[in-house]
Amino acid sequence: MSNSGSVAGGDAARRSSEGRIGWLFDPKLVSVALASVAVVVVAGLVQISFGAYSMTVGEAWRAVLDPAVLLDPRWLLNFFVGEGLMRSITGFQGELPELAHGTLIVWNIRLPRVFVAAIVGMNLGVSGAIFQAVTRNELASPFILGVSSGAGLMILLTLVVFGGLSAFLPLIAALGGAVAFLVVYAIAWKNGTSPVRLVLAGVIVGTVFSSLQTGLFFFADDIGVVQSAIQWTTGSLTGTDWEQVRLVLPWTIVAVLLSIAGSRQLNLLLLGEQTAKSLGMSIEKVRFALSGVAVLAAAASIAVAGIVSFVGLIVPHMVRNLVGSDYKRVIVGCLFVGPALMVGADVGARLGMSVITGADSQIPVGIVTGLVGGPYFLYLMRKQQNMGEL
Amino acid sequence: MSTEHANATDSEVPSGTTDASETVDSVGAGDASALDAESLVLGYPNAPAPVIDGESIAAEPGAVTALVGPNGSGKSTLLKGLATQLAPDDGSVLVDGRDVHAMDTKALARKLGLLSQESTSPNSITVDDLVYHGRYPHRGFFERTTDEDARAVEQAIELAGCGHLREREVGSLSGGQKQLAWIAMVLAQETDVLLLDEPTTFLDLHHQMEVMEIIETLRDESDVTVVVVLHDIEQAARLADRMVALKDGEIRARGAPEEIVTEDLLADVFRVDADVVQTENGPRVTPLRARHEDTE
Repeated sequence: MSNSGSVAGGDAARRSSEGRIGWLFDPKLVSVALASVAVVVVAGLVQISFGAYSMTVGEAWRAVLDPAVLLDPRWLLNFFVGEGLMRSITGFQGELPELAHGTLIVWNIRLPRVFVAAIVGMNLGVSGAIFQAVTRNELASPFILGVSSGAGLMILLTLVVFGGLSAFLPLIAALGGAVAFLVVYAIAWKNGTSPVRLVLAGVIVGTVFSSLQTGLFFFADDIGVVQSAIQWTTGSLTGTDWEQVRLVLPWTIVAVLLSIAGSRQLNLLLLGEQTAKSLGMSIEKVRFALSGVAVLAAAASIAVAGIVSFVGLIVPHMVRNLVGSDYKRVIVGCLFVGPALMVGADVGARLGMSVITGADSQIPVGIVTGLVGGPYFLYLMRKQQNMGEL
Repeated sequence: MSTEHANATDSEVPSGTTDASETVDSVGAGDASALDAESLVLGYPNAPAPVIDGESIAAEPGAVTALVGPNGSGKSTLLKGLATQLAPDDGSVLVDGRDVHAMDTKALARKLGLLSQESTSPNSITVDDLVYHGRYPHRGFFERTTDEDARAVEQAIELAGCGHLREREVGSLSGGQKQLAWIAMVLAQETDVLLLDEPTTFLDLHHQMEVMEIIETLRDESDVTVVVVLHDIEQAARLADRMVALKDGEIRARGAPEEIVTEDLLADVFRVDADVVQTENGPRVTPLRARHEDTE
């Protein structure tokens, strides 16, 4: 009891000087962020250099940093917000200046795929982190509360039954995920919810929905439909374009800001329901709102990449091992590690087959994340004594 | 057995006397808060019969009230009911005359704090961060910590005597040290009423004494109204201004420790034959043997 006074003063000073963003400069967090950025850059460069039109790394760099695009707000706006919006913002009506061939390929085809991968990684990481706190279970993933099965069922229904609606497939999939989440919540509700009830309800809904989903495969008369359905339900970035970037970016920004704002609530949830409640948290409201944010992030990623497994499970895990359990840092860490994993995995998905078999075909990125994620979890299971409860 | 229903007559102040001076919400200021429960019925959703069936209890403002009773007597349930962790089937809990279930959750958490019997936390959280969580009800959604928060945390950590632990991770602490950290967190909440569920159970003697000293300090130097569930009847007698003995969900006796800790009551409530000797450190209880009613 004697030495508390002296330590106390210094700590109060530390707290107040830390301020609103001081915690960002935690050395562990900074090194995680830097390492992740390095991975994204390297993997991104590989993605950009190789393909049907191969370039050297130097050429790829020059194409990415081509001043004709980077210094021309019209081109940048054209990519990031779309041509229509670009014209109304800048008032520019003529033809955009022509770009070099390499620049065109990099900026039009290869770069958006890297961007989409990075954004999907962020969304899945943040979503998983939130769900793991809400359910207080380390093994929770963005898809644990029925989101993936709902989205998968809607994808199948759209492709097999309502073929005319396939233009809206991303939105329908995201919507299906959100609706399934609400169903799970309704099932779990009985004078309030609890983490265990939520997870169980998620399993129930997941089982029923995936049975229906498998059943629908029998009604698909066309192998093309089946392949497309498999691409969606395993998660794939093939053919992603600036349109996907524009579709997912606004929701991502909203979800990320909300999850950072909610990180203190997440920290409190980790202290257990009793403690959170006795500290005055309206636990049901907070849990539902945070789950909603996580579903938003998951749905956004589903809309552009389908159901990519394991990323949302592993990323928060890795981040927590690296930066500790403070959720402010965990969320920020996920924003970096998620893209690193996803962009890296997509290199494997896009180029892996041609390296291994020489065949010029791509596999869904969800297969690669599963292949990476499984062994990682095996390693964790062997290393850690008690896994599961957070 | 003739001692059944030897309920000590209730000599408490009627609960209606708390007047409208409760608008002062600020910490430490004003008079001590009163906590009253009236004909409380508490049960668990899946249990057929309620655990507590229509009991009333009033915690004396600014004093320490200890709940004692054997396992399964409903003392922890009663405490959970008082802390709104358990919604009552009937009856009401009033803090300074206001129904706790009608209060905003944060406003209530500024009035009434609870230390649960078992608290879990991530292993890598520091004691300091844990104690700062106690300020949750005092902060708005986007508010950062204020000087007021820092002051409350300093005070709580000093009172709980865990200043030397504040940079340590909770996962690396012993059971006793953890308990001190959690107590600091509840103290940082700066509530007028503090409910403690078996704060000394599972602790070694040193930490039991540490916890007892914290409660004594609260009793002697602050206006905080404390209700504490204790397993150890001697500890309870030493610590409490008033004691409430429960058995089978019923309040069997209430009053000052020397009225409660008697051989008759130990036989009735705890089903033990015991010697009770009054000493200057409170009554000393020497249990002799367990009673087996059914063989009599």
